[in-house]
Amino acid sequence: MKEEIRTLLEDLLPLVDFDSDFLFSELNSLDVTTILMSLSDKYGIKLEATDATPKNLKTLDSIVALVERKLQEKQA
Amino acid sequence: MMTLEDYLAQDARLYPDKAAAICGAETCSYRELYERVKVRAADFSDRRGQVVLFRASQTIDFLVDYFAIHMAGAVAAPLERDTPVDVYEKLSQKLTSCTIPEGIADVLYTTGTTGHSKGVMISHRTIIADAENLIQGQGFSHELVFIINGPLNHIGSLSKVFPVIILGATLNIIEGMKDINRFFEALDYPAQKMATFFVPANVRILTQFSADKLASYAEKIDFIECGGAPLPHSDMLELCRLLPKTRLYNTYASTETGIISTYNYNDGRCLVGCLGKPMPHSRIIISPEGHISCQGDTLMSGYIGEPELTATVLRNDTVYMADLGSIDDEGMLHIGGRQDDVINVGGYKVAPTEVEDAALLLSGVKDCICISAQHPITGNALKLLVVMPDGEQLNKRKLALHLRERLEFYKVPMLYEQVEAIERTYNGKLNRKYYREQTD
Repeated sequence: MKEEIRTLLEDLLPLVDFDSDFLFSELNSLDVTTILMSLSDKYGIKLEATDATPKNLKTLDSIVALVERKLQEKQA
Repeated sequence: MMTLEDYLAQDARLYPDKAAAICGAETCSYRELYERVKVRAADFSDRRGQVVLFRASQTIDFLVDYFAIHMAGAVAAPLERDTPVDVYEKLSQKLTSCTIPEGIADVLYTTGTTGHSKGVMISHRTIIADAENLIQGQGFSHELVFIINGPLNHIGSLSKVFPVIILGATLNIIEGMKDINRFFEALDYPAQKMATFFVPANVRILTQFSADKLASYAEKIDFIECGGAPLPHSDMLELCRLLPKTRLYNTYASTETGIISTYNYNDGRCLVGCLGKPMPHSRIIISPEGHISCQGDTLMSGYIGEPELTATVLRNDTVYMADLGSIDDEGMLHIGGRQDDVINVGGYKVAPTEVEDAALLLSGVKDCICISAQHPITGNALKLLVVMPDGEQLNKRKLALHLRERLEFYKVPMLYEQVEAIERTYNGKLNRKYYREQTD
């Protein structure tokens, strides 16, 4: 899933370094919204703007963890 | 005439302990703010009559610098905080040879109506006229807490500082809308009336991902101004549904014209493209060809160091816009499109040639054109169509990073596509009309 998310987001946000350990600080509000929209569309999960915290978007791994958590919530 | 700094001094006398500005955990009373400005003004005492370039930031320090520069008799020229170093230095050098008319307060850099970055001179009189327009047109009040979420070097956000200071109200400055939790925390501030300014992308983010949360503040949000670019009708209707009692304004404004007209679309009619009646200090004229021009005290004084360019836009105390519009039977302005090549992206105006010139500097880019394309968040976005040498693939990231080193962030396209060739007119010019028609 990680590589799938990386490919998806790198294509949409070519300026962003998704290997960064400080990903959130690299993003602007449009980037954040693009991430939320593309992930909710791709995985059919319900994301809120309040999910876009510095912690949830700190690294690509934390984004993957957010998606996995939302998928689990969806199945529950 | 009182200046903004005179009003600040008055606020410090009348409401010394009232919060003038909040930024995260920092709160600055009117007394503290005025004292900080007086101390800081001493640092600019040798700059009287000169333009002081400085990088904008979402901080109380920015406000202190801004007011202090005025207080020292200098002219404030706030730039995007990420302005590339060479751009900053070129501007700085250019400004040393410029003559500045009497009464100028600010130089704000914009692409604006001409399609190239220019320094728009704003007078102290204009600042007060903008403030009075906003107070009367939108109902700014002493009790209001205004959340600034956009860059303070941009007229959209900077202009809201003016009425707040005149009325002794409160500013709450946040670092953009990236972390929506910070925006909602700002709304939690103990105040009866809150207001803010949004560009269309902000509205889309909130209605798409935080509709219920936004609606929970319906009683508290006094008004929201939307500007920068037209708001899609679906977003206007959604905001009206979420915030039924809030005044929701679409405004006609630009750095060159100042704040001209405003329309509360939460009036049961929600008219698309309507920007309301001219405010007290403004007049709107529509030419026989349908172009909008503006008059009144909110107009710029000209482009700094560009008298010839100024004359193409500002003549006979009138600013001639590239926008098309009409006035209805109620005297309200309705806006059409633009009749030039400038692309409006989320409230920022971009000259495509500037993007293309920067892209062509990258080795391997044979030809390119920067066009407007539809985007689910911003409504539209910059798209760069690129021709590469035979057999070579476009590296989007490399090109985007190349552009980012040379241009302000909002000029870097979000979308890229490799194409075989760029459409040109019979005389070899880029065929922008062809691509506009494709997008429409």
